[in-house]
Amino acid sequence: MIADFSTIVARDMGIRRGGRWILRPTTFGITSGVVGLAGPPCSGRSALLTTLATLRRPSVGELELLGHDVTGPAGQRAVRPRLGLLPHRFGWAAGVTAREYVAYAAYFKATPKNAAEAILERFELTDAAEFEMDMLPADLRLRAGLAATCVHRPDLVFLDEPLGSIADSERDELIGVVRALAPAVVVTAPDPAELTGWCDRVFTIARARLIESLEVCRTWSRVPAGV
Amino acid sequence: MSDLGRVLRIDARRTAPFLAVPALALLGAVAAWHALLPGVAYWDDAVAALFASVRVLGPASAALAAWVALREHRLGYLRGLSARSPALGPLLDLTLLGVVSLCAYLVVAAIVVVKTLLHVEAGHPQVVGLLAGALTLLDYTVIGYLAGRAVPRLPTVAAAAAVTCLWGVARPGTWTYLLPPPGVEHIHPFAGLRTELLAGQALWSLGFGGLLVSGYLWTLTRRARLALPLVAAAGLIALTTLWIHAQQRTPLAPRAFEYSCRQWPLTVCVHPALRSALPSLEAALTPLATRLSGTPGGFTRVEHRPDNDFPRPGHGVVYIHLTDLSPGYEHRAEQEIQISLLDARTCGNPAHAVGVRYTALVSAWLLDETPPRMTDAAAARAFGRWAEARRRHWLRLHYARYRSCTLRGLDFRTV
Repeated sequence: MIADFSTIVARDMGIRRGGRWILRPTTFGITSGVVGLAGPPCSGRSALLTTLATLRRPSVGELELLGHDVTGPAGQRAVRPRLGLLPHRFGWAAGVTAREYVAYAAYFKATPKNAAEAILERFELTDAAEFEMDMLPADLRLRAGLAATCVHRPDLVFLDEPLGSIADSERDELIGVVRALAPAVVVTAPDPAELTGWCDRVFTIARARLIESLEVCRTWSRVPAGV
Repeated sequence: MSDLGRVLRIDARRTAPFLAVPALALLGAVAAWHALLPGVAYWDDAVAALFASVRVLGPASAALAAWVALREHRLGYLRGLSARSPALGPLLDLTLLGVVSLCAYLVVAAIVVVKTLLHVEAGHPQVVGLLAGALTLLDYTVIGYLAGRAVPRLPTVAAAAAVTCLWGVARPGTWTYLLPPPGVEHIHPFAGLRTELLAGQALWSLGFGGLLVSGYLWTLTRRARLALPLVAAAGLIALTTLWIHAQQRTPLAPRAFEYSCRQWPLTVCVHPALRSALPSLEAALTPLATRLSGTPGGFTRVEHRPDNDFPRPGHGVVYIHLTDLSPGYEHRAEQEIQISLLDARTCGNPAHAVGVRYTALVSAWLLDETPPRMTDAAAARAFGRWAEARRRHWLRLHYARYRSCTLRGLDFRTV
């Protein structure tokens, strides 16, 4: 269903790569909340995420984000400052501290000078800010990545397999962080089971088709996303 | 420090392109050193050496730039989804890569300049040549970077190096070798690079780089105001290409000079770029002049001439054509003088094959070489036994036959 106030609206949107469909033309809409996108490796999950994040153009169809048609450069320019994307492997060179990493992102997001410090504090990274990225444990590195992604307070955030390398003990706390990132958050995982229970909606990509799973346990739904 | 400066510093640490400066500088220095004429300190040749270094440095810089572009592609999630211009990230990368390439180039240029200054240099420094080399190198860097951005795959790095390398060594058409980097190997003394052509090449490189950068920025931003630099760069390329095409001739022009001479015991005059060779030439040519004295081939003055200038020796003046001072140049000068004394028409006549062998026997003495194996062993033995004074006396008597390669065995039995 596509609501008039949908954050993401795709109409007959399809993605081809190397002569084959990664996503066959499909129509869907996402309003707000945390949306899970599951699919095994090489299923086109990451390609769909980067397409939704405007870094890749859909091969066919239309795509609207936050009310802007992003198939053209004007719409992309308008919407990009309101997006955040964290790839699965957000590799970073040795020797760069978490503070520098977030400050670097803050510069490109054109945020005020104090925004980087504020988000480091919000993500409980103040003590770890002077550590180099390579030296941080996985959960803190993810927090730094999330801080860099959301330093400009985006309206729509895409996270590619953020919890893949996170230990179970840290997982619940980080799920809470992820849910509070933005009004609309799209998260991917290889297995739908990793997304059910805390995502408001879960889609599965299989054989180049997007299918919505109806078995979503709404344990976390009591806490609205973006809070 | 400004925010932009801080970001540039982080980029420099992150991508570590400055680690490549020593390797690039070494590559360029080796190429330039090979291209310099041995023993010659000539500013125009120094510029040609810089172009030679650009032909090696360029593909290496292109490969480095393609690799950096490949790595930076992964940062699209930060730099692409930006409130700032999407051109900012690529411009920062190009700035860093350009500085890296120029640092390596400046090291090479410093080595070439110091080498030229340490020797007794001739000619005048060609600053526009230095500039043309730098701009061409920046073009290579831009090409590599754009290739890496367009096709962010590892093979692009090798492809960027291979294609740019090919452009440096093989050009389609007869005039395209004048496009940067020009295909000049060595600039021999007596000729110089045409300053106006160097300026044209510098402008062509500027236009080409400008066209690539502004064209790429336009594809990123679609800003109408980029049309102005785009059109200006295209116009500059068109004009300079037409002008270079119209040249259709050598990039070299005769260069005015004054001989450097050494007056005693012989007068030896060479191009000033080779003046360090004067003492050794004097020492090597004096015995030959002494042996030829009293004959019509005797000489008291040796003149260094351009490669395409072959005056007939006479009136005590002989000519040499040295292009560099690689080992053995003194002997090559002696040989040239000795060969210039012979009559090519009669010595090339197959009817005088026997006389040619006798002439070779005498020439070996004149040049202090090992005598050739002779069929007429008696003549060779006799000539070998004679004292130096007797040989000189004999040569004065038989010079005409020596010159025309018509000596006979009988001539070695009568003095």
